[in-house]
Amino acid sequence: MSVVERPSAVTSKQLASAGATRRRRGSRVKIWIGAVCSLLVVLPILLVGVLPVPSATQQDLGSRRLPPLSDGHLLGTDQLGRDLLSLILHGGQVSLLVGVLAVAVSGVIGIVLGSAAGFFGGRIDALISRVLEAQLSLPLLMMLLLVVALFGPSLVVITFVIAIAQWPEVARLTRSLVIVEREKPYTAAARVLGLGRVQILVRHVIPNIFKQASLVVLLLLAQAVLLESALSYLGAGPQRPFSTWGRIISDGQDYITTSWWLVTFPGLVIVILVVGVNLFGDGLRDRAPRRKGSKK
Amino acid sequence: MLNYLLKRLAQSVLTVFLTVSTVFVLVRLAPGDPAVAYAGPLATSEQLAAVRTQFGLDLPIWEQYLVFLRQLLQGDLGTSFSFQAPALQVVLERLPYTITLAVSAILLTTIVSVPLGVWMARRADTARELSANVVTIAGQSMPEFWTGTMLLTLFAVLVPILPASGFTTWGGLVLPTVTIAIMQIALISRMVRREIVVNLQAPYLTVARSRGVAEHGLTWRYAMAGASIPVLTALGTRFASMLNGVVVVEVVFAWPGVGSLVVRALETRDYPLIVATVLVTSVLSVLVQLLVDLCYPLLDPRVRLGKVAAS
Repeated sequence: MSVVERPSAVTSKQLASAGATRRRRGSRVKIWIGAVCSLLVVLPILLVGVLPVPSATQQDLGSRRLPPLSDGHLLGTDQLGRDLLSLILHGGQVSLLVGVLAVAVSGVIGIVLGSAAGFFGGRIDALISRVLEAQLSLPLLMMLLLVVALFGPSLVVITFVIAIAQWPEVARLTRSLVIVEREKPYTAAARVLGLGRVQILVRHVIPNIFKQASLVVLLLLAQAVLLESALSYLGAGPQRPFSTWGRIISDGQDYITTSWWLVTFPGLVIVILVVGVNLFGDGLRDRAPRRKGSKK
Repeated sequence: MLNYLLKRLAQSVLTVFLTVSTVFVLVRLAPGDPAVAYAGPLATSEQLAAVRTQFGLDLPIWEQYLVFLRQLLQGDLGTSFSFQAPALQVVLERLPYTITLAVSAILLTTIVSVPLGVWMARRADTARELSANVVTIAGQSMPEFWTGTMLLTLFAVLVPILPASGFTTWGGLVLPTVTIAIMQIALISRMVRREIVVNLQAPYLTVARSRGVAEHGLTWRYAMAGASIPVLTALGTRFASMLNGVVVVEVVFAWPGVGSLVVRALETRDYPLIVATVLVTSVLSVLVQLLVDLCYPLLDPRVRLGKVAAS
């Protein structure tokens, strides 16, 4: 080991036990565990076409509810004799798609409205903040169920419903970030140079907050997957082409006393994925420099 | 103070009114005919028409809305189609169950999450805290319907020590409470940790430490006091949303509360019942939030209600 000259009397041991170092180490652990857990679920789902799993639609009433590890069925079969692993992976494609799309939509709505509220202030801010508050006081799941009952459980509706449920979080964060940026000298400089307010917002302010605002996206993805599974569980999830995880669980519930795997495995897959995404996002957030006065 | 209270009450009434109106319009835009659900699949079109006239479903939506408002002012929310009883009464009969569940869940959450959060804050960024941190993330990542089903299988089927569903004995309260609390504890304890960590670094804490206040007192009396408002707000919000119906958990455990009622009402297109449920639960949750706000001056003497906190 080469001797590193330090400008002060701080030893490397002290550095290693300093709060900032430990925090960094903790965040690295979280990012790693998170990435591994997420990939463990996401990769098989993406690769389901290539993997040697039986078809998810092929029913075989002769081999109903086979336990896990039985011949040709790694996780067993369901009440119609379909391969559980294949069902989970195909359902996962739908769950993931809904989650990613929902987060993208809510991210766009949230950033546009949040930055408008933060940057323009005044009446626009008052209006958007009121809508935010009103939505927070609404019975969320009830409203989601209602809207799905209203427009039917298609992929588009469910994606949109989850996005609507999630945009307030992005909007509030963006608004608070933009309020800070708005007061910085570079916006004044841009104004002096003759840029319009919208131009300043789009070309200078939003690029500056984008990185911080996008960190919340991973946490939202985790929530979106959970929300979608809850909706499916209550029977308001996407029906086609494959039933998603929540639906598999609610179908399997009737057989819980005899066939534990029907509920346990789909649930475990949700947990592993959501834990992974949450840990990954949390680790990234710990790493980001803390904003001053970030209490609100 | 009185001014503030009146203003807040007016705001609350407005919120509830808008919520209920939105729901009123939404349910009527929905496809699916409540008359069919009411009269059964074999009803003739004359019978269906009779049912529609009986419940005023043949009127245009805005007329139905006016009728609804007039009845609302008289405290009448209409008759539930599926229960054949005043909708308000049906909801109020179910409400105690939801309140019982919500109270016990929020109590368990508070008792566990506050000490846990403080513990994590005191040992922030150590290896042990990291594992506790990962565990709380896992807690907030488990879907409630799955946790519930798993607990149910473990403690009611495999080791039958607790009742599986319904609320006939106090034992029946245990599993639903724990199911809700797992996720809430995870969320709240992380937030307590965050708040305490911020307060432990505040200058006033250094002053207190230099005056010789013991570490225990520093955490619990000083840092906790600083963190109390955000923590109380979070607990209040959680409690309020539980009153809105812990839909999923109630369905899993066949809990006879408002949440499972609303799922049933949606399935049968029971318009008056849906509206009544939303009205009652949103009134309750708005009241809880108002109460929480009224507690602020007790926790922090700097807060003057109706004015911006001087912090």
